[in-house]
Amino acid sequence: MIDTETNKKLTEIFADDILDRLNCNSNELYLTVEPAKILSICKYINSEMGYPLVSMFANDEISLCENYAIYYVFADREKGQFLIIKTLIDPLKMAFKSITGKVHAAARYEREIKDLFGLNPIGHPNPKRLVFHGNWPDEAFPLRKSFDLHHKPDFAKKSINFGKVISAGVYEIPVGPVHAGIIEPGHFRFSVAGEPIINLEAQLYFVHKGIEKMCEGESIEKCLYVSERISGDESFTNSYAYCQAIEKIAKIKIPARAGFTRVVFAELERLTNHLGDLGGLCTDVAYGFAAYQFRMMKGWAYAIADELCGMRFLRGVNKLGGVRKDFIAGKELIIIKALEKIKKELMDTNEIIKSNGLFIDRVEHTGILSKKIATDLNAVGPAGRGSGILYDVRKAFPNEAYRQLEFKIPEHHNGDVNCRINVKIEECYEAIEIILKALEIMPRGKVLEQIDAVAPYQFAFGITESPRGENIHWVMTGENNTIFRYKIRTPSFCNWPALCHAVKGNIVPDFPLINKSFNLSYAGNDL
Amino acid sequence: MFKIIKKIIKYPRVTQNYPKYTDHSIPFIGKPEIDLEKCTRCGECMKRCPSHAIVLDKKASDIGINYDECVFCGLCEDICPVGAAVMTSKFELAEKDRNKLRKNTLIIGERTYLDKSYEIVCSELKANIHKTFGRSLHIRAVDAGSCNGCDSEINGLSNPFNDSERLGINFVASPRHADMLLVTGAATRNMQLALAKTYNATPDPKLVVAVGACACSGGIFKDTYATSNGIDRIVPVDVYIPGCPPRPQAILYGILKALDRV
Repeated sequence: MIDTETNKKLTEIFADDILDRLNCNSNELYLTVEPAKILSICKYINSEMGYPLVSMFANDEISLCENYAIYYVFADREKGQFLIIKTLIDPLKMAFKSITGKVHAAARYEREIKDLFGLNPIGHPNPKRLVFHGNWPDEAFPLRKSFDLHHKPDFAKKSINFGKVISAGVYEIPVGPVHAGIIEPGHFRFSVAGEPIINLEAQLYFVHKGIEKMCEGESIEKCLYVSERISGDESFTNSYAYCQAIEKIAKIKIPARAGFTRVVFAELERLTNHLGDLGGLCTDVAYGFAAYQFRMMKGWAYAIADELCGMRFLRGVNKLGGVRKDFIAGKELIIIKALEKIKKELMDTNEIIKSNGLFIDRVEHTGILSKKIATDLNAVGPAGRGSGILYDVRKAFPNEAYRQLEFKIPEHHNGDVNCRINVKIEECYEAIEIILKALEIMPRGKVLEQIDAVAPYQFAFGITESPRGENIHWVMTGENNTIFRYKIRTPSFCNWPALCHAVKGNIVPDFPLINKSFNLSYAGNDL
Repeated sequence: MFKIIKKIIKYPRVTQNYPKYTDHSIPFIGKPEIDLEKCTRCGECMKRCPSHAIVLDKKASDIGINYDECVFCGLCEDICPVGAAVMTSKFELAEKDRNKLRKNTLIIGERTYLDKSYEIVCSELKANIHKTFGRSLHIRAVDAGSCNGCDSEINGLSNPFNDSERLGINFVASPRHADMLLVTGAATRNMQLALAKTYNATPDPKLVVAVGACACSGGIFKDTYATSNGIDRIVPVDVYIPGCPPRPQAILYGILKALDRV
């Protein structure tokens, strides 16, 4: 299955440069190549084969092969496969060739690797710090195995410079990290002339907690609970992706009922989040009535979660090998009734907001993300779908349960706030339909296939469609059922740079609205 | 317009009457409890607890849970071989003294960086809130490194179901306007300065409430290179609200407790 025509052609063209190939987990192809050839290969895969760079990370493999490794993950979204280019970096050199000039989506990954591993991306157009702020010393790289998790380096005093726009009448507006609303912390630096925004630079990582480092050496069981706490409102899809990866490594198939139970919860999370986003969008245009309608519906969605598992954030549902218990049995009628109620109310509210000229005026042609930029930066989820990228993990990388369910992916092309609103509204309806259908065709049976032990130094990807988009976790196991490396890439990481582009040319008062239409997670980005 | 009026008539009031009345029909998960009679002190839950909240003293044959660290995941209930650990639906857990939430007492470091008048400030505040603001309280929420779960629940306080404004509690945009800071998150390295600045910008007298396991103790994220063990290392805390995340009503209980209204 993995030997597609395009993959074959790639291995033929670069036959001399490929040192090793490994086929695993049915849809992952790892090719090890010379560091010197990385730029030409990545460029070929990205531009000729059309595979987007979906993740990129380094790994301290000195204990395994005396080198650092960098993984470039490309996805074939038509066939549902990963193509991973791996290259080994000599610890004496501590540098690698930057591919940002040719593959734009690599920009932030390379800066992240530089901060966390001290590997230098040579030729990066803007290699400034990403993860660490001015208080972090130069010579401390937490993701190296030699760094102690509990070591807190002394506070340094370095200044971080923002990109400057210099011209007559251009001024800067600094915002954050503590914002006016009840949201997460981040610092925004607007360069503005009059009203329109010329440039926006976001300094994030205020909530960087060191999750990836923390998981190393911990048991696979504990890391499940950590994965639930990567980003609060995406608790379920994050642990879903983590479980998928571990289940692939353990080579077990989860029971069919567990698969459908996960679908129900994943869609419930999507519904809850989208309703919350729509409420927030209405608040940001001062449309109080609609905002409270959506918040009421969100409350009803939370009530379903409470009824099913006792946790509004769907924590403690997933378990390695399935779900903790049969949450659905006997509660089908309650779910159906509640969903019908939400659906009806959503239809009514949708009609009301769509006939409000003032509302449409605010959201239409605001915060346009062009398809070209969205593709280059690998914008995912509703942000990508609003700009005409027809991609949904549930269709491209379907699991057993999603294969049996029919649903449509919303298609919008203008890339403005209105399109993202429409994507979210349509996805709410789809989510309701998916849950109803899943309840109907869900087979009876057990919900958990116990995983007792996993083989050491195995790796696999877990991929899910969270409410914000494509969510990719890569897990490598260590000795005694522990984690050796856990790379988390949430959709927010991809969409933050897209947001910075979408606000350009818009007036400052529209920023909260555009920001909310993306609704990015700071915690999911900062880790 | 007609449709809007129709909706307003259809849903006149969805607000729950908490704290006067608590809806116990919802089977939500609250704090875990260990039945000391059933427990065999095998230590399995202590070893596997993801946030190391369970303490076992084998010599004294004593076991208990530090609720400021507990993330309410339910693992102890699942793995207990004799069924001694059970998840209850108790959610009103907020305490003014962190040690009241703990099994083993914690000596919280000397607060040399604090204003000495803190004790006096606190007692004055109670009187002040009643006298000066009547029954109203202005809150500034600060995320000092949470996963956004607690923040979503704080947001939930002003939704139609909880509507904290009916109790005179509302959220303001600046610490300069606030009587209380509602802090979430494990006080990450990059937020420590911002948190201290926000605290200093809040006029005296003021209250600080730690929301969620991370703010109380660091929770599951405690003691990494980028986090500290709770916000009380940075600012003095008046009330601790455990939970991961605490439900909106649990937060409301904590806020009211800080005001001595429950």
